[in-house]
Amino acid sequence: MKRFMLICFAAFWSSVVSIWAYAVLATDGVADSVTEQRVISISPAELARHAGTDDCWMAIEGVVYDFTTYIPRHPAPPVVMTDWCGKDATQQYRTKGYGRPHSPAADALLPQYRVGVLEQSE
Amino acid sequence: MFTLVRLVTFTLVAWPLAVVAADLYAGAPADAAAWLRWLGRAAGLVGFAWFLLAMALSARLPRFDLALGGLLSLWRMHHWLGAFSFVLLLMHPPLLALANVPAGPQAVLATLLPSLDAWTVWSGWAALLFMMLFLAPSFSFFGAPHYQRWKLLHRFSGAVLILALLHALALAGLLKPAAAGWVWGVLAAVTAAAFLWRLLLSRWLSRRQYRISRVNALAPRVVEITLEGPPLEYDPGQFVYFTPLDPSLPVGRGEEHPYSLVSAPHEPDLRIAIKELGDASAALMQVKEGTLATVEGPYGRFVPPQHEGAALWIGGGIGITPFVSVARAFTAQSASVDVHLVYCANDTSRAYYLAELEHIAARQPGFVVHPHYFAEQGALSASFLEGCTADYRQRVCYVCGPSGLLNLAETILTGEGVSRRHIHMEEFNLL
Repeated sequence: MKRFMLICFAAFWSSVVSIWAYAVLATDGVADSVTEQRVISISPAELARHAGTDDCWMAIEGVVYDFTTYIPRHPAPPVVMTDWCGKDATQQYRTKGYGRPHSPAADALLPQYRVGVLEQSE
Repeated sequence: MFTLVRLVTFTLVAWPLAVVAADLYAGAPADAAAWLRWLGRAAGLVGFAWFLLAMALSARLPRFDLALGGLLSLWRMHHWLGAFSFVLLLMHPPLLALANVPAGPQAVLATLLPSLDAWTVWSGWAALLFMMLFLAPSFSFFGAPHYQRWKLLHRFSGAVLILALLHALALAGLLKPAAAGWVWGVLAAVTAAAFLWRLLLSRWLSRRQYRISRVNALAPRVVEITLEGPPLEYDPGQFVYFTPLDPSLPVGRGEEHPYSLVSAPHEPDLRIAIKELGDASAALMQVKEGTLATVEGPYGRFVPPQHEGAALWIGGGIGITPFVSVARAFTAQSASVDVHLVYCANDTSRAYYLAELEHIAARQPGFVVHPHYFAEQGALSASFLEGCTADYRQRVCYVCGPSGLLNLAETILTGEGVSRRHIHMEEFNLL
């Protein structure tokens, strides 16, 4: 029993350190490609044209993302996302519909789907 | 009442498993990442629920332990629930991090080590680190535990409770649906109450003060302490937590330790017998008469209060104490019993209760005492038991003593075909 617990304890730290090392090493390249993106301005009308499940853009906190390829990977059923295709989903992203914000992991996912910034309506 | 306590406990153990299974039933995960996410969440949820239960069980309310088979089996349950919850909670972060592998290394990194303002994740991490700290002595991660340090570190479970609750409320959606929110709420409240009871309230409400009226040296390194004070309702063979307050004690003053009662319930005073096994018990050999002490209890259910049917008792060393209590209780009753007691001692000088037990046996029909001396006769054997009573295989067996004797007795008895159901062991090494 004590031996088994010690093995679990050691396994935990070795797996956490391995996962962390993998993530840190692999993140370097991704971060570079994200910062290289140009700033593209997208109008609300342009955003609204991408309102289908096969072409789904959303605005969150003034940034426009193309989530078409992400929808099938979302942990909750697709319908919670597809309702917001072509719209500003900031509020929905912040509350998940019941007052809880998305996780830091979700925040970290956003940059790779970024297509531009939303034009502010005057 | 007892059935209800048992039912509620087992329902609560099974409940988180049902919750995660229902989650699976509602929609099976679509791919490997979704499976990992489900496993990670399930490990966190079940682990947290079992942590709460393990903590609630440690309230140690006198007499409530009987509902779950006595304090020792309750501790065993606490120990296993705690161990399983720890393993599950260790699996929780790596599984969730791995579930984000398809989303890229940034997502993996953010799951494991998010930005500093993501307090919900960090409170989970802090809870897990505190849990490692307070469980390290329980599983001897860094060598054999020191009793008092182990008890002190276990108080960090309170910090784990608060931090883990914050983490789970913010991220796991524990309050959805409302019915589940109620179960979590009640479970967390009961756990917090159990923690406060053990940490603070039990000191005033459950410990009772006694005066040490007599310290009787039974043999070198063994004393019997007599305590005068309020009457205590107990069954013979139960034990209490004893805290000496003698200011002259070099160590162990104000520390509680479990000791078997050797007095019988009809006697006006309580008596406990103590063998020198560690620093605190060694100091008690010199405890002063007239000083104060507190007692909390009674606990345990080793020997049933009614003596129906044939029994074989095997007591070794200081493990003879619960049997002494039951034998002393025989003197206050008239019914005959059918009990053979094998008293294992190293030699005659260590059989400190033998004369009194033989004296009781001479007056109590059906109670027979058989001394066994290791120095002369070697280890206890099946043939020795055969010589005591030929029908010992048909008797319900109660064994109390050092772990060597427990293991030997179990090997002999099971080897001779005694069902494990009929072998009851009392061991104190969990406490």
